[in-house]
Amino acid sequence: MIYFRGCVIRDKLTEIDNATIKILESASIDYKILPNEKCCGSFLMRTGFYDDAIELMKSNLDIFKHEKILVSCAGCYRTLKKDYKDLFGIELDVIHSSEFFQELIESKKLKLNKTSKTITYHDPCHLGRHSNQYNAPRFIIRQLGNLVEMEKNRENARCCGSGGGVRSAYPKVSEEIASMRIDDAKKSNAEIMCTACSFCILNLNSACKKGEKVFDLSEIILMGLKDE
Amino acid sequence: MNKSQLNTMQKSFELMDKRRKSLLDNKKTKELIERVKNIRKDSINNLPKLIKTAKKRLKENGIDVRYAETADDALNIINDIIGDNKVIGKSKSNTIAEIGLADYLKSKEVELIETDLGDRIVQLNPGSNRSSHPIGPALHLNIERIAEIVSENLGITINPEPREILDILKSNVLEELSQCSIGITGSNSVAAEDGSVVIVHNEGNVSLVSMMDTHIVLVGIDKLVHTIEEAISVVKVETMYATGTRVPSYINVISGPSKTADIEKRLIEDMYGAKKVVVILLDNGRSKALKECLWCIGCGSCIVSCPVYNAVGYEFGYRGYLGGRGVAFSKFIKDVKASYQSGLFCCTLCGLCSLECPVSTPTNEIIEKLRKESVESGIYNKKHLKIANNIKNNGSPFDN
Repeated sequence: MIYFRGCVIRDKLTEIDNATIKILESASIDYKILPNEKCCGSFLMRTGFYDDAIELMKSNLDIFKHEKILVSCAGCYRTLKKDYKDLFGIELDVIHSSEFFQELIESKKLKLNKTSKTITYHDPCHLGRHSNQYNAPRFIIRQLGNLVEMEKNRENARCCGSGGGVRSAYPKVSEEIASMRIDDAKKSNAEIMCTACSFCILNLNSACKKGEKVFDLSEIILMGLKDE
Repeated sequence: MNKSQLNTMQKSFELMDKRRKSLLDNKKTKELIERVKNIRKDSINNLPKLIKTAKKRLKENGIDVRYAETADDALNIINDIIGDNKVIGKSKSNTIAEIGLADYLKSKEVELIETDLGDRIVQLNPGSNRSSHPIGPALHLNIERIAEIVSENLGITINPEPREILDILKSNVLEELSQCSIGITGSNSVAAEDGSVVIVHNEGNVSLVSMMDTHIVLVGIDKLVHTIEEAISVVKVETMYATGTRVPSYINVISGPSKTADIEKRLIEDMYGAKKVVVILLDNGRSKALKECLWCIGCGSCIVSCPVYNAVGYEFGYRGYLGGRGVAFSKFIKDVKASYQSGLFCCTLCGLCSLECPVSTPTNEIIEKLRKESVESGIYNKKHLKIANNIKNNGSPFDN
C-alpha cells in the first residue's frame, strides 16, 4: 500500500504526515511512501490547466494502477477516485484515511481512549458532497469523544473557502469564508474542531485566532493513542 | 458590496432559508420539483423546435413576435417600438438588465421607471444600481439606508419605517407611470404550444405595466416550455424557492392583446388592456450555450448558500445573473472575458449551489469546463499559472 500524502501535507502540514505514519506503525501496517511523490492533479484540473493535468495524471497512473493507495487529503481522494476514472476509465483502489482508520478500529488494530471532549467535524466538499463519504470520520470521532454537529453539516456543510484555486487567487475571499465556518464551529460549542482535508485545514487555520487550531482526524486519533 | 450590506444580505438570506424549509421538505413539493426538473431538461433538449412553435402560436394569438439574435438587436427592436415616447414603465427582469436597456435608454434620454419596490430602491441608490438577489433586489440594504436613499432622491425626509417608505415610493411610481403608454416586462416562463407568456409578481406592478397601450415582453429563449400547465409548474417552484411562499400573489398569463367579441360576436381589439403585445425572443448566445446552463428557473436559491456570494455579494456574478451559474452564463451571453471578470476563477467548486438548485444545475462541473476553455484561450489567473508551473517543474504547488 502506498501512503500518498499529497502536496499540502508533504510541504505544509507535516504534522498530519507524522501522525498518520505513527498510527500506521502502531497498527503494524505495511506501507510505502513514494520517493518522488508528485501532485495528484487536482489543482490543475480545478483551475483549467487541463492538458498539464492529464500529463501529470498519466505519469501517476503508471504507479497508482497496481497498488492500494491511502490518502489523507479529501482533494486527492476525489481526484483519484473520480477524475482518474472519468478521464482514463480506470478505477483506482484508493482509500481515504478516515475509512482506513475506521477499518483499523473495527479490526481492533487500533485501540483508542474515549474522553469526554466535545468534537465537531467539518465535512470537506471533496469528501462529502463530491464523494458521498460522511460516516467514517464521525465513527472515529465517537471513539474519541462526543460528536457535536454544526448546524450546517454533512451534505449541507458550508465550504471552508479554499477549493477551486480560490485560496491562491483570492486569499481574502477564502479567509472570509473560513471565518464563517469557524463561527459555525464556535456556535456548536465543541472544544475541538477537526476535518479530513489538508486544504480545509490550511485555510480554516488561517482564520483561527492565536492558540486555536483545526485538527486532522489523524491528529486527534494520536491524542487518543497517547493516553494508552 | 461593503461589510454592512453583506451582513444585511446574510441575515435576509437566513430568514428566507428558514421560511421556506418546511415548504420544500413537503412530499407534494418534492414531486412538483421532480416534474419541473424534467420539464426544464426536456424543454432545453427541444429548444429549436420550441422556438419555432412559440413564434407560430404567439403570432396566431395576435402577438407581434420578434427574434433578437443579440443584445443589440433587442435594443434596436425596443428603440423602434418606443418611437417618440420619453417614459417607459418596467417590471423586474434579469433579461432587461442583460441587454443593458437602462443605460441605452439613458443615452437616448428616455426615462425607465422601475415599478418593483426593491428595483426602484436600487435604481435610486447612488452607490450602485446592482441587485443582490433576483427576487429581492434590495436585500442588502437596511431600512435606515433605504430611508436615506429615498429621502435624498425625493427631497423629503422619510422615516426608516416600512409603511412610510412603501407609500411614498408607490405614489411616486404611480405618478411617473401616469405618463407612460409603453410598459416592458420579462417573463418567467413561456408556453410555446399555447403561445402564452407567464409572469409572476407579488406587488401587482406587472399588471399595471402590462396594461399600457403597448406591452413589450423581453424573454430569453431558455424560458420556453411546452404548455401553460408546465409554465405554471415552473413558476410555482421558482416562487417557493425564491420567497418561501407556495404561490405568488399574481401569476399573469398573457396570450394576446386586449379584445372583446361581445357585439355580434365580432372581434374588436383594444378594450381595457394592451392594444399591442410584442414578445421579443432573445437568443444572445443561448443557442450555443451548454444545455445544463439553461435549465435555470431564476429562483436565486443558489446564491443563498453560496460561500463566495455570502462573502463578496454581487461582485460574484454578471449583471443580474448572480453567483456561479451567473458567472458561467455570462460566458455565453457575453464572452469569456466577462465571465473571468465576474468571477470564473473565484468559485470554490464546492457544489452547495447544485444541492440547493431545484433543477440541480451542475455549476461546479460547468465552471470547470469553462475554466479549461478559458485557459486554452489564454485567459487564466496569474497566480494559478505560477502554481501550475511549480507543479510541472517540482511536483509541488509551493515555491521551493
